[in-house]
Amino acid sequence: MIRKSGWLVFIVFFAALLALVYLVAGPAIRLGMVYSLEKAVGAEVNISKVSLELAPLALRINNLQITDAAKPTHNSLSFGHARAALEVWPALLGYYVIDELTVDGLQYGAERSSEGKVYRVPGSDSEKIDIAQLLQVDLPDADELIARANLQTPAKAEALKQLAATEQQQLKTLQTQLPTKDSLAQYQADIKALTDSKVANATDLAAKAQQLQQLKDKLNSEKAKVEQVKQQLTQSKNSLQRAVDDLTAASKADYAKVQQLANLSDGGLAGISQILLGDVWGERVAQLQTLYELAKPYIPEGGISGPGNETAEPEVVLPNRILPLPGQPYPDFWVKTARVNWLIGGGEATIALQDITAQHALINSATKFSLDVKQLPQLAAFNLSGEFAVLQQMVTNLNWQLDGLNLQPLTLGKGDTALDLAAGLISSSGKLNLTDNRIQQQASVVLNAANFNSSGNKYLQQLASLLNQQQQIPLNIATTGLISAPEVSIRSSLDKILGDALLGEAKQKVAAYQAELQAKLNSQLQTGLAGQQDWAALLTQQDGEVADISGSIETMLSAKMADVKDQAKDKLKDKLLDKLGGGN
Amino acid sequence: MLTMLAKILKVLNSQASPWQIGWAIALGLFAGILPLGLLTLLIVLIVCLLTVNLSTFIVVWGLTEGLMLLFATPLENLTWQYAQNDTLLQLLANTETLQLLHLHHTLTLGAFVLGAVLVVPVAWLSKVLVMQYRSRVMSSVQKWKLTQMLKASKLFALYEKLN
Repeated sequence: MIRKSGWLVFIVFFAALLALVYLVAGPAIRLGMVYSLEKAVGAEVNISKVSLELAPLALRINNLQITDAAKPTHNSLSFGHARAALEVWPALLGYYVIDELTVDGLQYGAERSSEGKVYRVPGSDSEKIDIAQLLQVDLPDADELIARANLQTPAKAEALKQLAATEQQQLKTLQTQLPTKDSLAQYQADIKALTDSKVANATDLAAKAQQLQQLKDKLNSEKAKVEQVKQQLTQSKNSLQRAVDDLTAASKADYAKVQQLANLSDGGLAGISQILLGDVWGERVAQLQTLYELAKPYIPEGGISGPGNETAEPEVVLPNRILPLPGQPYPDFWVKTARVNWLIGGGEATIALQDITAQHALINSATKFSLDVKQLPQLAAFNLSGEFAVLQQMVTNLNWQLDGLNLQPLTLGKGDTALDLAAGLISSSGKLNLTDNRIQQQASVVLNAANFNSSGNKYLQQLASLLNQQQQIPLNIATTGLISAPEVSIRSSLDKILGDALLGEAKQKVAAYQAELQAKLNSQLQTGLAGQQDWAALLTQQDGEVADISGSIETMLSAKMADVKDQAKDKLKDKLLDKLGGGN
Repeated sequence: MLTMLAKILKVLNSQASPWQIGWAIALGLFAGILPLGLLTLLIVLIVCLLTVNLSTFIVVWGLTEGLMLLFATPLENLTWQYAQNDTLLQLLANTETLQLLHLHHTLTLGAFVLGAVLVVPVAWLSKVLVMQYRSRVMSSVQKWKLTQMLKASKLFALYEKLN
């Protein structure tokens, strides 16, 4: 059963397979990469050549260009060549351990030799930071300010409205249980009929006494109902009063809050940068969520913290399907060193990275990265360094120092309120710590030697002049909390400058705005209190009616009972006298 | 397609033993289920060393590779779900040979287990079916117009000549 030429057949097969892999692997990987990248970015991707080197085992990619789908004449990303040297033994075990990765000539936004095809037109580009939007200065209107101030009045007003509706419903139900005038008249008629009738004998007396007792029981039960209604009325009045008090307090607190935000009481505009830039910065910070989502599958379950963890989430499946072995010899992927040569702004920058992986516990080291850029035409210096590790938690630390970034001329605002920034230098330094999905960030941004122009109204010209007088316009930005909902604090002397400059124009606007705001809050208060006064009056009235009914039942019951008793006594007396007289 | 059909008919009608065809089908299936790697090479080595019918092995291997485009993902998911066993993971972690065979990869592990379970029953079933075919159907098939057309075709003649 043994094939004599078996070994020979196998060796031929194996050699053919190796030759096939060597010849076909490069083009096959190239096709696969082009297909996957085009699918991901929705635009033409070009790769000149992908080749496989056998000794040492390495993959080389030449001239990769990814078309920018929003601007097909340019690439979103391109590089001259990249080389990844793979370690053989881990590769045989199925782990991708790259000893050295080099990328040369990395460029963002380089012009293409010919326009690239676009397969999927991108939507609105919210990723790009619009400096004009960042520095947009418009006085927020009352609605916007109310929306941003997270006011309590509407909620309290709604609560009062609902409470009033509930109480109204309960009262209606209770009203049906109260004895009506007709039923009271019926009771009176019954009692009268009973008391007016003659008592014939002792048996008749007993029967009448029993009927009287039944009537008394019924009246007692009605009285209890009336008592219950009285209690309910008291409770309703109390809870409605509490809700009204809450609403009034909330309204006062809200007005104070809005005043504080707009700083209307001082006549200035301090805090406006918080209102204007806070959301924008918050959105930028929230983009770090992507980094967290990427690392999340690798974070141990016990390590993930935060309120986002409370909701049930779909099971995350790792892209690399290697079973989680205890004491795994290598990470699923691990780039030991990487060097990226980045062509940027007419110069070169080098990014150095070490130990890129998502399983840092296995190599007992964090991913370190640094970027050092000096003396570019538009930038004096930029240094970025940091480390990233996924252990029990995902921890990222980042420090940066940027000096002398030349601002390109840009226009802030539109139409009459346009303000041109002809020149300026931006410097910034800061640090950022990201632990799982919680962020702590401190940054200072300084605009130096700014040159503003305005052809708009005189107030804007005054503003441009004031801004130009400033040596520095600093912004201090601090962010804390969850990256999905960060709390951003932005403080700047720019606020005071804007306030001073705009005061002339803004005075009337602020006064009108204050009136509008007060009117709006008052209107919300009135809406919340709608009908409450009527109800209070109605409740008082009903309270009185119930008390009257209760009193009249009590009086009637006592009086009629006394009558019946007297009548019964008289009859008994007469009978006894008759009997005694008969005996004489 | 015609070549493949011709190959199958030729093998079925040849003097090759039913066991040789049965094992070729079973091992072709095994090799096809597995992702290409050392385990596949081991199976190819076995096929080369033993007198297993090579044509049948190659045809079944190719067909199964095609089928696995559909079934690889469910098989991988199933394995991921059931392979989270401490003893198994410890065994895989401690035995480098098993890692060299990529048995710590979900798809390879799942395919290996499925192939190992199927190989003997499929070999036996195939042998039985080949025997049944030869005893009951072969003479009728020989008379089919399609068979005669195939045999008369130039492609078949060329195939015969090359063999």
